[in-house]
Amino acid sequence: MEDRQPVLELQNVSVGYDSPAGMVQAVNDVSLKIYENTIVGLIGESGSGKSTLGNAIMHLLKNNAVLTSGTIKVMGRDVYSLTKNELRQFRWSQMAMVFQSAMNALNPVLTVEDQIVDVFLSHDKRMSKQAAKKRARELLEIVSIDPAHLKSYPHELSGGMRQRVVIAIAIALDPKLVIMDEPTTALDVVVQRSILDKIKEIQKIKKFAILFISHDFSLVSELASKVAIMYAGRFIEVTDSQSLMASKAHHPYTEGLIRAIPHLTADEVTIEGIPGNPPNLVELPTGCAYHPRCRYANDLCKRVRPEIRHVENRDIECHLYETVQK
Amino acid sequence: MDQSTSLVEVKDLVIKFPVRGDQKKKYIIPVDKVNLEIKKGEVLALVGESGSGKTTIGRALVRLLRPTEGKVNVQGKAINDLKGRELKQYRRIAQMIFQDPFGSLNPVKSIENHLKFPLKKHQGYKGKALDQKVTDLLFQVGLTPVAEIRKKHPHELSGGQQQRLAIARALAVNPKFIVADEPTSMLDVSIRAGILQLMNDLKRDLGLSYLYITHDLASARYFGDRIMVLYGGKVMEIAESKALIKQPLNPYTQLLLAATPGSESKIDLTNVVNEPPDLSEGRKGCPFVNRCPLATELCRETMPDLEEAMEHHFVACHHYKENKQIN
Repeated sequence: MEDRQPVLELQNVSVGYDSPAGMVQAVNDVSLKIYENTIVGLIGESGSGKSTLGNAIMHLLKNNAVLTSGTIKVMGRDVYSLTKNELRQFRWSQMAMVFQSAMNALNPVLTVEDQIVDVFLSHDKRMSKQAAKKRARELLEIVSIDPAHLKSYPHELSGGMRQRVVIAIAIALDPKLVIMDEPTTALDVVVQRSILDKIKEIQKIKKFAILFISHDFSLVSELASKVAIMYAGRFIEVTDSQSLMASKAHHPYTEGLIRAIPHLTADEVTIEGIPGNPPNLVELPTGCAYHPRCRYANDLCKRVRPEIRHVENRDIECHLYETVQK
Repeated sequence: MDQSTSLVEVKDLVIKFPVRGDQKKKYIIPVDKVNLEIKKGEVLALVGESGSGKTTIGRALVRLLRPTEGKVNVQGKAINDLKGRELKQYRRIAQMIFQDPFGSLNPVKSIENHLKFPLKKHQGYKGKALDQKVTDLLFQVGLTPVAEIRKKHPHELSGGQQQRLAIARALAVNPKFIVADEPTSMLDVSIRAGILQLMNDLKRDLGLSYLYITHDLASARYFGDRIMVLYGGKVMEIAESKALIKQPLNPYTQLLLAATPGSESKIDLTNVVNEPPDLSEGRKGCPFVNRCPLATELCRETMPDLEEAMEHHFVACHHYKENKQIN
């Protein structure tokens, strides 16, 4: 199974921001493979580097951010070796992204139809406008929007409908990888769930891979089959989402997150916050970045940064994993 | 229910907002005939989506806006028409915590000045006693080391610390009742639990009552003694938290529950129509009618009354009895 070609392959990827305080490592030496027809979740708090990583994969980093080391391959091709023109074709047809704020991702002065048709025509010069319009209609049907809205402008749609349009545009050219950066965060609970169910449904049919970026732990663990948990720019744990049902046998940070979420159906609901605050990337703690907030931390954790290790079916970056489990 | 222990009583609360831009003056009614009661030391969780009227109710209860109709009694006293001095006095009883902690703080004021102002103005603290009280409050909400924190400014605090300061400021007037409007929704997951725990501790230690406004049923289940579900300005269901999650009777509550991560109930939501409820004046019937699987002509015409379906469990639905069999 492992010799299939991964849709996305991250090898020791680091991304830095050039800031007045010096180079800030927002993503620090992360590796991951995603295969077709799977949903992988990327969980992290604000400032953990999760969106930076998403943008890095799309080669969308802003001016002061650079890929400082490592390679990013999508469908076996190094994204950073493509020319500008190749990259333009590669995006959308091979990899696409859905952003958090759907309103800002859509052009306010173009109708929904024009925006979708635009995608087809700019990527396939031979396609007729008629054919593109037909495809636009089909796409809206896939995301359960009445084709009557083809003539609507973005402001005439509700937030949930706009996000559905953005998803329709992202999957227009059947990409192999779709990166979704908090696609439902600004939406109401019911709308959020209906869009997630829709994403799942489309994903099952089209079999593309999704990297789903979110801060919402419970949501991601329900949606994704595999989850990477990011803290201070590093993957501190990569595990199958089933295991996230229990707080046992995890990285102490993951364990803390699981304890911090109130459970809906438990008989007695208890929660426990993680002390302290997410770290400032400019002044990262020495050793393990999580040690100031960790209940198990010892002297070793303060001095030496742990390396990611494969233990019991998951990747964990913690000196004390075995000790803590006993 | 026992009258002597109820702190907040709301009867037939109606709030109207004028709609601009039309020649003829029109209104929307985001809160329509809402009744509620909060006992001493009780947390009522108000759950709903955007546009349900939950924030509007919260604002009316701390008199940031004036109800159009209905009665709001707090500690047995009607608050709708309070003015000037009396309104200022009411602020000592009821305080509010907002969603955006940074937006609710003054960026040019030091942390200690955020607390000194209400302590001086409302409680008459001075000199050493004032300094001591500031220290106590910061300590109480877990903003330590106090000596360092008190000289800082809001931008130097993290989001969680800012929300703790907002809570300390609310506590400075020694209130009985706090309206907390989505106090954790802008915070990181690892920080949220700490804020909820703090509010829970304060409830226990100070006997505070809360109206906890949220869109998240899981946190409502944790913090709320009872949960009230709102839709389109109407109360759909009220029950003790555990009972409501275990056996929701209103189809809207069931939908909301199915949409919440961690729920066991499965409803197919892929094609749920997302039509915001009609809030216009003169609307009829149940606001949920366009999305409801059980909707009938009766639902279009008449809004059902809240009825006690089980002990302490009230539901507004014409068809909840049929619905129970579906489950």
